[in-house]
Amino acid sequence: MPKIDFNGISKTFGSNTVIRRFNASVEDGEFLVLLGPSGCGKSTLLRMIAGLSEITGGELLFDGQLANDWTPKQRGVAFVFQSYALYPHMTVRANIAFPLVMDQFRKWHHIPLVNLFHRWQVMHRPEVKEAVEKIAAQLELTPLLDRRPASLSGGQRQRVALARSLVRDPSLYLLDEPLSNLDAKLRTQMRSEITTLHQKVKKTFVYVTHDQVEAMTMATRIVVMNGGHIQQIGTPDEIYDAPANTFVARFVGAPPMNLIPVHITGKTLTAQGATWEHHAGSPSGATSAIFGLRPEKLVLKPVGAGRMKARVAVIERLGAETILGCRLGGGETEGINTEDLIFVRMPGHPGFDWGDDCSLDYADADACWFDKPTGHRLPAVPTPASAVA
Amino acid sequence: MRTNPLFAVLRVCLILVLVVFAGFPIYWMASTALNVNSQLYNTGQVPWPQLSNLPELLEELAAVPILRWLVNTGLIAAGTTVLSLTLGSILGYALSRFKFHGRGLIGFLLFMTQVIPEALLVVPLYAMFISLGLLNSLWGLVLANVGFSLPVAAFILKGAMDAIPYEIEESAIIDNCPRMGILSFIVFPLIAPSLAAAAVISFFAGWNEFLFAATFLMDRDLWPTSVGLASFIGQYETPLSAVMGAALVFSLPAVAFFLLVQRKIVAGLTSGAVKG
Repeated sequence: MPKIDFNGISKTFGSNTVIRRFNASVEDGEFLVLLGPSGCGKSTLLRMIAGLSEITGGELLFDGQLANDWTPKQRGVAFVFQSYALYPHMTVRANIAFPLVMDQFRKWHHIPLVNLFHRWQVMHRPEVKEAVEKIAAQLELTPLLDRRPASLSGGQRQRVALARSLVRDPSLYLLDEPLSNLDAKLRTQMRSEITTLHQKVKKTFVYVTHDQVEAMTMATRIVVMNGGHIQQIGTPDEIYDAPANTFVARFVGAPPMNLIPVHITGKTLTAQGATWEHHAGSPSGATSAIFGLRPEKLVLKPVGAGRMKARVAVIERLGAETILGCRLGGGETEGINTEDLIFVRMPGHPGFDWGDDCSLDYADADACWFDKPTGHRLPAVPTPASAVA
Repeated sequence: MRTNPLFAVLRVCLILVLVVFAGFPIYWMASTALNVNSQLYNTGQVPWPQLSNLPELLEELAAVPILRWLVNTGLIAAGTTVLSLTLGSILGYALSRFKFHGRGLIGFLLFMTQVIPEALLVVPLYAMFISLGLLNSLWGLVLANVGFSLPVAAFILKGAMDAIPYEIEESAIIDNCPRMGILSFIVFPLIAPSLAAAAVISFFAGWNEFLFAATFLMDRDLWPTSVGLASFIGQYETPLSAVMGAALVFSLPAVAFFLLVQRKIVAGLTSGAVKG
């Protein structure tokens, strides 16, 4: 199984640079998720690993060997496409067996009738039949083997695409947003199926998605990308708990991390007409910064019980939990703009109603700090006692 | 939904009118073939076919090498079809899938071949065929016909290939399928209706062609039926029943070929018209 290294990989289309100096490595057996918004270059990167797109600059190493010019065949990868890309004129059985049939292909099989006979003959070899039936049984496709893709549901097509990639037993699986065409329920089911599959086959998976829930639930490591740049590489917990910048903080998590531009005076923070005390550290020397808090780290309390005065402006009931959007300082609640809302995730039904005055509280250690101009994460240092007013 | 009976009757009437309009010339051809020339030129044609005249018609047809003409026509039509589809599919694939300088210009030039009248090219082609030694040769005629049917075939096939998602081909690349294999295992089966449509167009272009055949083929044994039919017309006499009889024989293989591929062709001509 190969270890993949990206050394300054770049991709340009004409004058448009899609990926700039990408440096990372994919370890053997890991489930790496490339996460980012549409157009951030994640699919292009996956296609470059597969050999479907040319690498404009940098080095792609497979086990230390330069693989920039290797054909997809030499790389020995499996690729699952967003649209599944099944062969519509072939049965499920022929679709799954196609990689095995092509492994036996010789130049003289190009002769029209010879190739028909050859494909028929390979399809009927016991080892091919056995491999196809084994994979089909593993993915519960046995009853569908003689049907064509047009008569299958989205989830079944997805499983056929997976089966086709699994049958050849490659060492590297590349999956390009494979769940994006499925409905929410099926997506949840397939998510756990793919995770189980990864644990079962113990091969390297590189998975592209723009859905942070998929990334968080499936990955062993996540690469967050934006505009062709790596924003952060880390485990799901690292990405969630310690985002490297405001982009990652906003992109990962639903609702995203609350980012409040604040003015710092010693231990006093001021933002959107609210003033509160923050006892733990704040960025050293800065008078203004971005204060970040995950919605579940905030607690909604009655007026006066918490340190930040607020008013409830939005309530989203999800059953097991409730998301409340509050406006700091108890400002007006009529506006439909939600950009300045502070979201709070509370278990069950917290008992607040729209327009209620309330207060927000948090544990000091849960706060994150980001630089205002650059958006980079700042280390918090304890505020010197002399600075306290 | 119930259809108004009046509309149903009107629809049937309209279909009948169209059938008569399209079918009457064929009926008249058969009817004329089974009239004797003396009737045709003296007493006027009997409007229904007279089967009693069949032996006389067969005798007249036996006097001309109609079988050889049919074989020649078949060779020209088959050669035109095979060459147009082979080159057209590769050309269509290149135009559909590869980005290269001059792609637009090639498309434009291919269209231009359809704008230029065939007759305009007779003299230049004649001169060219003399120097290439292709005059009085069926292969030369196939090449001339392909010049006209290839662009049409290429455009039909390009349109069909455009509709195939490229991801299917990329998937085949990942599955170790060579490029030509992609064309024959993946692309061709998916564009079968368009291949049938292109085949019909190329086949009839070769089958019905007259001008080039009449100009480039001097040897009577190389004539296709279209030229053979014209040769019936004499200075003093034209045996109309024999002409029509030969025309009838000439039509039958073409009808058979069309029936063979017609189920596919309708899907081919409308493919890509609506979201599938």
